[in-house]
Amino acid sequence: MNRRTVAALVINDLRQLARNPRVLVFAVALPLVLWPLMWFLTSLTTERRQERIESRTYTYAVADEAAEVAGAADTRTWLERALAVVGGDGPADGDEPTDGPAVRFERVEAPDDVAAALDEERLHVHVAWEAGGDEDVPAPRIVLSHRADLDASDSAEGFLRRALERTRTEVRERRLTDAGFASPPEDLLPLERIETASEEQTSGLLLGRLLTAIIVMMMLAGGSIVATDALAGEKERGTLETLLTTAASRVEIVTAKNLSILAVAFATSVLNIVNIVVWMQLDLIAPPAGMKLVIPVGAGLLLLLLYAPAAVLLSSSLLLVSGRSKTYKEAQLLFAPVMLVAMAVAAIPVLPGVELRSAIVLLPIANLGVAAREILTGTYDWPLLAAAWAVTGGAAALLARASLRTLSAEKLITASELDAADLAGGPALFPRRVARWFAALWALLLVWQLNIGGNIDSRLLISINMAIFGAAAWLMISRYRLPVRQTLSLRAPPARAWLGVLIGAPAGLMLADGVVRLASLAMPIPEAWIEAMAENMGVTLPLWQMLIFFSLMPALFEEVAFRGVLLHGLKDRLTTLQLVLVAGIAFGFFHVDLFRIPPTSLLGIFLVVTVIRSGSIFPAMAWHALHNALALGSARVEQIALPEQPIWWHYALAVLAILLAFRLMKRRTRAAFS
Amino acid sequence: MSTVQVEVQGLSKNFFDPSRGEVRAVQEVNFECRGSEIFGLLGANGAGKTTTLRTISTVLQPTAGTARVLGHDVVSDPVEVRRNLGFYSASTALYPRLTARETLTLFARVNKYPAERTRSRVEEMIERFGLGDYAGARIEKLSSGMKQKVSIARTVVHDPPVLIFDEPTVGLDVLNALDLQKAIQELRDDGKAILFSTHIMSEAERLCDRIAIIDKGRIRACDDLEGLRAATSQHYLEDIFVHYVTGNDTTA
Repeated sequence: MNRRTVAALVINDLRQLARNPRVLVFAVALPLVLWPLMWFLTSLTTERRQERIESRTYTYAVADEAAEVAGAADTRTWLERALAVVGGDGPADGDEPTDGPAVRFERVEAPDDVAAALDEERLHVHVAWEAGGDEDVPAPRIVLSHRADLDASDSAEGFLRRALERTRTEVRERRLTDAGFASPPEDLLPLERIETASEEQTSGLLLGRLLTAIIVMMMLAGGSIVATDALAGEKERGTLETLLTTAASRVEIVTAKNLSILAVAFATSVLNIVNIVVWMQLDLIAPPAGMKLVIPVGAGLLLLLLYAPAAVLLSSSLLLVSGRSKTYKEAQLLFAPVMLVAMAVAAIPVLPGVELRSAIVLLPIANLGVAAREILTGTYDWPLLAAAWAVTGGAAALLARASLRTLSAEKLITASELDAADLAGGPALFPRRVARWFAALWALLLVWQLNIGGNIDSRLLISINMAIFGAAAWLMISRYRLPVRQTLSLRAPPARAWLGVLIGAPAGLMLADGVVRLASLAMPIPEAWIEAMAENMGVTLPLWQMLIFFSLMPALFEEVAFRGVLLHGLKDRLTTLQLVLVAGIAFGFFHVDLFRIPPTSLLGIFLVVTVIRSGSIFPAMAWHALHNALALGSARVEQIALPEQPIWWHYALAVLAILLAFRLMKRRTRAAFS
Repeated sequence: MSTVQVEVQGLSKNFFDPSRGEVRAVQEVNFECRGSEIFGLLGANGAGKTTTLRTISTVLQPTAGTARVLGHDVVSDPVEVRRNLGFYSASTALYPRLTARETLTLFARVNKYPAERTRSRVEEMIERFGLGDYAGARIEKLSSGMKQKVSIARTVVHDPPVLIFDEPTVGLDVLNALDLQKAIQELRDDGKAILFSTHIMSEAERLCDRIAIIDKGRIRACDDLEGLRAATSQHYLEDIFVHYVTGNDTTA
């Protein structure tokens, strides 16, 4: 990549933007004024409304029949005391308002039609008594009528109700004392709260919940200014073809466009943040209660590093949308869903109980948001921070690659919307669609597992999961008219492959144990997880049920989906090594549980190699079933736990056994997997 | 004789359309273009001229066959192809908010012209194309004639040995079209290999050293004007064109 070329392209993009006064005013300058102004006006309006509420005179009326109701004398006294607390013209007994605003209440004649009087605001609150004494209302009570949709009526009712409740407490306590209660009632079981979190931690939690959403919003707002113009605008102006016929490579163009988007997104974000801080320093706007906009330097630098892949991910998304759009307007239209999705994901840290050490670490941007929240409260979970960074970085790399491919697409220039695969459809199109299908399937499983999965019987959970895999595989095969035998590698394997399975599966299980051990150095496995895992694996079930649900069903359905359909879709687009790693690790990621990803990824890799070497899915099914059965067996005998000390030569032997197994599986007659 | 700069062999390009299915836009096209030569692709609209030139400029990928620019293959070495190429067409626009000088500097840089010579080369182009009084003005403020001069200047600013002009006079008035043709002839005289496509017979007749008549994606004939006249016994290029495209003799 030539830095001079990239720099020239970035300068060109920024120059175009800087010389577009309309964009600068509407997309940069105006938000700088409008956001804080809206904030300021909202606080000002709230303040004014509060002042108005507290300074006005409210009207109340007391029902005429009150005098006739038994016990009304007491409650009337309560009302008078309550009015004395909040202020009013009633016959007070000398009490001064104790706390809260001293609003004024003015008694008016009780109307015949209370609802109409409230509606016309001649009356704000109406007081009546109910005698009680029956099943529904055992004791006399006060009934307040008001209009919740009218500001004054609603406020009046609130003031009066709170004052009445306070009065009731006072009266109750006085009566208890009069009845000979030993100590003052307010001294009974006093409650004291002790806050162990530091002020910085409390503030950090508040800031951490919002920080990612605010940054994502600012970056998207700023980045979209350039992104719209980046490809869609160039296409519409006719400058894209000019650019594509220069010696700038596609990588240089995409890098430059991404840098331009990032530069503007970063600059506008910084401008907005500085702008808000200045307004706060001028006391024109106030931060939310309890929140301090102070981030320690170390945490700030770490956050900057953490947000870097998120920024690339966002800019690549915007660039991708811009590249897929035919016009400037279409790009602007398509940005809306991108922004909604990004904001929804970025808002996840607001949810209570979401921790980084969970499946959320696999969700780009959301994982960085939760990580940022933990950092700001002083928790540094380094392995998970690295994992979150890597996941979002990986997603950013994939999107950057997709935007690069968009730029190389002929559709950008020609009127032709299709290519050969589009036109042919079916099997020719499937390799281009397989990643989307499995991404959607992963998202479906993630949502399902996070929300429902853990709360149902493990047999039902497995059955539903397998049904999802089976249905997805069937849908893809029928939708793209895939040849079943070829897609699922339904061929007879060499006889020696079965011996390979018998050797490989136990060895693979042992190596999976080693991988879990290695991973646990970075991510210690909690005891609670091990117990839950044992429960989920059905160690309490009869053996035949365990084998059906945890060994045979996954071996059948997961192999059809992953070593059948997924492998078939990817094989022509990747080298063998890429295929093994991508298809294998993808299988691991479908075991949404964080601690299961490393060992299941390894299993996935072994199973992919098995299909490639043997040319058949059957040995992979057998391996998978045997692997799960052995894992269940060991769980049943010993419960699930890592041995005290690893025996390293066991692992070395397992590696040799795996190599032998793969050697045995190789077909001699022809290239089996092609 | 000058060396071959552009070599096209068996070049085919197919498109795919939902209603028409597979469209064979260019079929097994062969030709070569040498330095100091204007090679014309003459054809009606939709004959395959632009597709051929876009494939040579690496914007489109060939379905079959090869194209080489100075020995660099358009598929395996696209950046080197584009580095040695200047592409001009009615659809290649300029950035409206850049000045003429900034435009030329940008295209010199992105085409990897040596950094130390960029400034002098840009000034040379400004002088050569008479842009001096307007070099600091934004493109959006320039007249269409001046924009066209800037376009030609940005096409040649990195001094490429091969130039492609794809229907460059479309939409230009007569005077501007003549100016452009003059500029192309001068570039030919500078030793450039020029691929020139047009559907205007008089333009091809006036400019091209050799002409390929292209119809429905295939080259029907390829020779200099005298050779075409001799082969068809027609004098005017228009008649020669009709002869090859329709198979009819238009001589009265």
